[in-house]
Amino acid sequence: MLRYIARRLLIAIPTIILVSVLVFTLQQLLPGDPVLTMAGEERDPQVLAFLREKYRLNDPIPVQYFVWVGQVLQGNLGISLRTDIPVLKLILTKLPVTIELAIFAMIVALAIGIPAGIISAVKKGTAVDYATNVVALSGLSIPNFWLGILLIMLVSVQWQLLPASGFVPPSEDLWLNIKTMIMPAIVLGTGLAASLMRHTRSAMLGVLRSDYIRTARAKGLLGHVVIWKHALRNALMPIITLSTLLFGELLAGAVLTEQIFTIPGFGKLVVDAVFNRDYAVVQGVVLCTAVGFIFMNLLADILYVLVNPRLRHAR
Amino acid sequence: MINEAALRSRETDLAVDPLASPASEPLLRVENLSIRFDGAPKGINVVDDVSFSLAKGKTLCIVGESGCGKSVTALALMGLLPTPPARIVQGTAHFEGKDLLGLTERERADLRGNSTAMIFQEPMTSLNPAFTVGDQIAEGILRHRKVSKTEAWERALEMLRRVRIPAPEKRLRAYPHELSGGMRQRVMIAMALANDPQLLIADEPTTALDVTIQAQIISLIRRLQEESGMSMILITHDLGVVAEIADEVVVMYAGRVVESGSVEAIFEDPQHPYTIGLMGSVPSLGRRQGRLATIRGSVPPAELMPKGCRFTPRCPFAESRCATEPPPLVEATPKHHVRCWYAPLEQHRGAVS
Repeated sequence: MLRYIARRLLIAIPTIILVSVLVFTLQQLLPGDPVLTMAGEERDPQVLAFLREKYRLNDPIPVQYFVWVGQVLQGNLGISLRTDIPVLKLILTKLPVTIELAIFAMIVALAIGIPAGIISAVKKGTAVDYATNVVALSGLSIPNFWLGILLIMLVSVQWQLLPASGFVPPSEDLWLNIKTMIMPAIVLGTGLAASLMRHTRSAMLGVLRSDYIRTARAKGLLGHVVIWKHALRNALMPIITLSTLLFGELLAGAVLTEQIFTIPGFGKLVVDAVFNRDYAVVQGVVLCTAVGFIFMNLLADILYVLVNPRLRHAR
Repeated sequence: MINEAALRSRETDLAVDPLASPASEPLLRVENLSIRFDGAPKGINVVDDVSFSLAKGKTLCIVGESGCGKSVTALALMGLLPTPPARIVQGTAHFEGKDLLGLTERERADLRGNSTAMIFQEPMTSLNPAFTVGDQIAEGILRHRKVSKTEAWERALEMLRRVRIPAPEKRLRAYPHELSGGMRQRVMIAMALANDPQLLIADEPTTALDVTIQAQIISLIRRLQEESGMSMILITHDLGVVAEIADEVVVMYAGRVVESGSVEAIFEDPQHPYTIGLMGSVPSLGRRQGRLATIRGSVPPAELMPKGCRFTPRCPFAESRCATEPPPLVEATPKHHVRCWYAPLEQHRGAVS
C-alpha cells in the first residue's frame, strides 16, 4: 500500500514539472504588458525600464522560468504586481475559504447525488426513476447565479433564516461561519449532485446486472444489504473518479457563486488577477490549482485501492 | 457417453434404498409452472406447463439444450427471476407444504440460502470481487442464524474444510480474484450449504470449468449430498453426469417437459425423439440399423415456434399432425411420461415401416 502511494507520488512529479512549464509559457503568451499597467498614466521610459529590470522581465525566458521555479520551491510565489502583497500570503488567506466551501458543496453533492442515483437505478423504468431524472436534469440546467439569487430572496429576504452574503472566519464565530456557507454550498452542491446522480445511476445499473448480485440475493440477503453493500461497493469506482474531479474543480474557485454571496475565495482572486494582468498571482493560483488536481488524482488512486481489492497487488 | 457401470451401481443402490416408498409427500412438487417474458409473442411461454416432483434426499436432473427453460425454471423456484420482464403466468411449487410462488418477497428471502440454496454456472463472476471469501460465506450464516460473528466465521471455516479447500484458514481471508475457477465454485458450494439446505439447485455447476475439475466438483457435490441427505436439482447437459447421479430425469425442450421418469427408464427406454437424439444413439431400437448421431438445426425463435409439438421442425419422425396439435404428456409406462404423439416410438415406427 505504502509502495503504491509512493509510486503514485513519483508519477506526479513529471506532471507537476509539465504543469509549471505550461503555466509559465501561457503567461508569456498573454497579451498586454504588466509594466504598462503598473506604471499607470505616467509612461516615463526610465520608470518602465526600472520596473522591467526590477521584475527581471528583460532576462531570457528560460532564465525567467528557472528563477521562478527556484523561488517557488522556496515558497516564494512572487509578489502581486498590483497590490505588493506576497502571492503566497494572498493564496493562503483565500484558499481555506475555498476549501471550506468546496467541502460543504461536496457533502451536499454526495448526500443528494449518490442516494438519488441508487434509487433511480433500483427503480429503473418507474415513475420514481423518471422523476429523479427530471429533477437531476433541471439541476444541471439551472444556472448557479439564478439559484443563488432565488435562495437569497427566499431564505434570507423572505424568511430571514440565513445571512444573505458575507463571510465570517470560523475562528471568529463557527456557527455564523457555517450559516454563511450553507446557501453557497447548496448552490454549488446541487449542480454537482445532478452529474453525480447520473454517474451513480449508470454505474449501479451495470453492477445490479452482475452475477454476484444474484448470488447475494440467493443467500437471502435483504434488498438494502444487496444494494448498499454488494452493489454500491462495486459501483464506487466511477463515483470516486467523478467526485475527486469535481472537488478539484471546486478548488479552482467558483467565480459566480463567490460573487453572489460575496465570499472572498479563490474565484474572485483569479478574476481580479487576470483583469489586472497580475502575472504573479495568476501563476501562483493556477499552479496551486494544478497541484490540487494532482493531489485529488492521488486521492482517487488511493480510494480505488481501498474499494477494489483486485488493485492491491497491481504493480 | 453413458456410463454403464454408474447406471448399474445406481440400480443396485435403488434396490436396497428404504426411502423409495412412493407414498411419501415429495419435498418439492412443481405443478403446471408457466413463465413468459414480456414482449414474447402471445401464448409463447419460455417455460410452459412444467411439472415435476422431488423426494427427500433424491436427485433430479433437468436436461436440455441451452435456452430450453431449465435455468428460468430454477430461478423461478428460488425467486430470483427478474420480474419484469419475466412473469409467472400460472403454476404452483409446493416446498415443505408451502407454495413458494405464493409467498411474499420477504418470506422467500427467508427461505433463500436457508432451506433452499443455489449454485450457478459462472463461478468466475458469481462471487463479489470486493469482499473476502470468509465475509461472503459468513454473511449468509448471519442472515439466517442467530449466531455471533465469530461463530459465523468459524462455521465458514468449517464449510471451506468440508468443500476440501486447501489451507482454508488462509482462504477465508482471500479475495475471489486470488482463487481459481474450481476453487471459486467450491466457495460457492460452501456458501450454499452453510445453512444446511434441504434443497440444493445446481445450475450447470461445472459447465464453465476445466474437464478435470468438473469431475472433482461433481463428486464433491455428490459426497456432500450423501453426508447431509439433502435433495438436489441438477441442471446439466452432460448425460454422463446424469447417468451417474440422477434418480429422476426431466428432459426439457423449448420450455416444455418432453419426457420425465426414473434415470433407468430414461436411459434404457427413451421415448421422445428429442431424448433419443440427445443420447446420440437409439438403444431401444437396437434391432434397427443406423444411428441418430445429432439433432438437426436449433431451437426455433419464439416467433417461429410451431403451434403443436415444439420439436416438430427438427424431429425425424414428425408428421403433419405434430405441427398443429400439441401432444399431451402421457404415461408411457408407469412413472415414465412422454410428450409425443408417437410414443412409444417402437410400436409406431414398427407400424409405419
